[in-house]
Amino acid sequence: MSAVSVLEQRAPRINKALHHYTTDPDLPLGQHAYQSPLRDERLAAWLGAALGILFTVCFLTGLFDHIQQHPLTWLPVPRRPLWLFRVTQGVHVACGIALMPVLIAKLWLVWPRLVSLPPFRKVADVVERVGLFALVGGGIFMVFTGIANIAQWYPWRFSFEASHYAVAWITMGGLIAHLGAKWTITRRSLRRRSRRPGLAEAAVGAGGPLVAEGQHDGLTRRGFLVTVGSASGILTLTTVGQTLRLFRRLAVLAPRAPGSGPQGHPVNRSAANAGVLASSASPDYRLTVAGRVLTPLSLSLDDLASFPSHEATLPIACVEGWSYTARWRGIRLRDLLHAAGAPADAAVHVISLEQHSPYSVSYVNHFQAHDIDTLLATHLDGKVLDPDHGYPLRLIGPDRPGVTQTKWVTSVVVL
Amino acid sequence: MVIFWGLRDLLHHHIDTRPPETARFFVAGAVINDGFFIPVVLLLGIALARVVPGRWRAYVQAGLIIAGCLALFTYPEVRDYAHILHNPTSLPYNYTEHLLAVILVVWIGIAALAVVRTRPSRAKRRGGR
Repeated sequence: MSAVSVLEQRAPRINKALHHYTTDPDLPLGQHAYQSPLRDERLAAWLGAALGILFTVCFLTGLFDHIQQHPLTWLPVPRRPLWLFRVTQGVHVACGIALMPVLIAKLWLVWPRLVSLPPFRKVADVVERVGLFALVGGGIFMVFTGIANIAQWYPWRFSFEASHYAVAWITMGGLIAHLGAKWTITRRSLRRRSRRPGLAEAAVGAGGPLVAEGQHDGLTRRGFLVTVGSASGILTLTTVGQTLRLFRRLAVLAPRAPGSGPQGHPVNRSAANAGVLASSASPDYRLTVAGRVLTPLSLSLDDLASFPSHEATLPIACVEGWSYTARWRGIRLRDLLHAAGAPADAAVHVISLEQHSPYSVSYVNHFQAHDIDTLLATHLDGKVLDPDHGYPLRLIGPDRPGVTQTKWVTSVVVL
Repeated sequence: MVIFWGLRDLLHHHIDTRPPETARFFVAGAVINDGFFIPVVLLLGIALARVVPGRWRAYVQAGLIIAGCLALFTYPEVRDYAHILHNPTSLPYNYTEHLLAVILVVWIGIAALAVVRTRPSRAKRRGGR
């Protein structure tokens, strides 16, 4: 006698409840206790397509960010256009934020599949469930850690950047597997016109009559999509102004306010937090240029003042999605390298006074090191750098993530 | 293959990724969503269906969905978790006020839509005279 039969005989109430609250994996989404007219294959396909696009955009822009922060010697990152990283990172964060309502909607819609009985009938079902676990767990992890990061909330002990990157691959793998499993259904659902049975049609589903669109209380399918889209849109409108000037006044929920902070610009790390208030203001401060050079240099601020200074208008683009453009004035890095007799193809490490930080040292490839707009800046918007902006010297170059625009520079090592 | 690349990266940089901690958050997210969050939303939906009259239900649903998403997103901002970093340029607003203001605007918009869409049409009114 099967377990189901035993249950039917000995615990009919439990059996009835089990049947009511679980679903048959071979029947449509809306069945048994989950009769909402919104549990519709076509709606799931639309939400799935939107998620697929958003996750893929986030993945590709995130990959570009990763390569910027961890340069590959065989793949130098472009220096132009100047605003490239600003745009890609702004898009990355904006898409991640917009993704949240869509993900929640999709997970709600397909939840009845979680309580399927039996959970799997064949090996392919097991494989699909594993892929789904990667996708669901990964998707939630990515959105949660991303949103927590931009709010500078770290309720974990792993490195956000390292784990966010690794799990991104796991999530994309789950997405690709899910796409493969659902491709036929998705294509069919997105192509065909939505079946909207009129009042006269009495089509019967697994749990009862199918409800005609618009003939039931509550949101219609279209209304649901519009609501989810509106939630994404409102989140985007109220945050994207932290990087897009046009929407600055609407950015009331953005984690950063453009125009706030020392010298009218936000910072990610203050001099006090970096522990460099004393060393950056010390009269013994020196900038050293060493490594593969003919003449190592040790320069005081007065020595640095004798170098010709140049201006460049460049953006600072934080990996958290906020950014601003400013006028920077300082010494061209290539002038310093030339004075030290560095090779023309030299790449460098730029080292900060800040210690014990993953961003204390940044790599500058030979293209960027010799770019006319790569400066060791002394001034921001016409005024001497504030300590929080990197006084006495800050590296600023075209198309670099904010974390690699090293502040409180103390040393340049030619590689 | 792609999943294994991610797992490889997670383990290769284990000092930074702390695999047990990352795995804990990975699994917890799925479990909390599937075991708590979605069931709570389901129960809220049932309660809504019993309490809110049918002709207004769609509008209330829309308002709650949008407000809920806004509240979830701004949770770390409203709680001001970043204050321990002592960075005055981080989270510079009163996010509780801003969140409530945005939610109010959303509800006003939904209410206006509800009034417009549930008003009898002019043609019907003329026919009724």
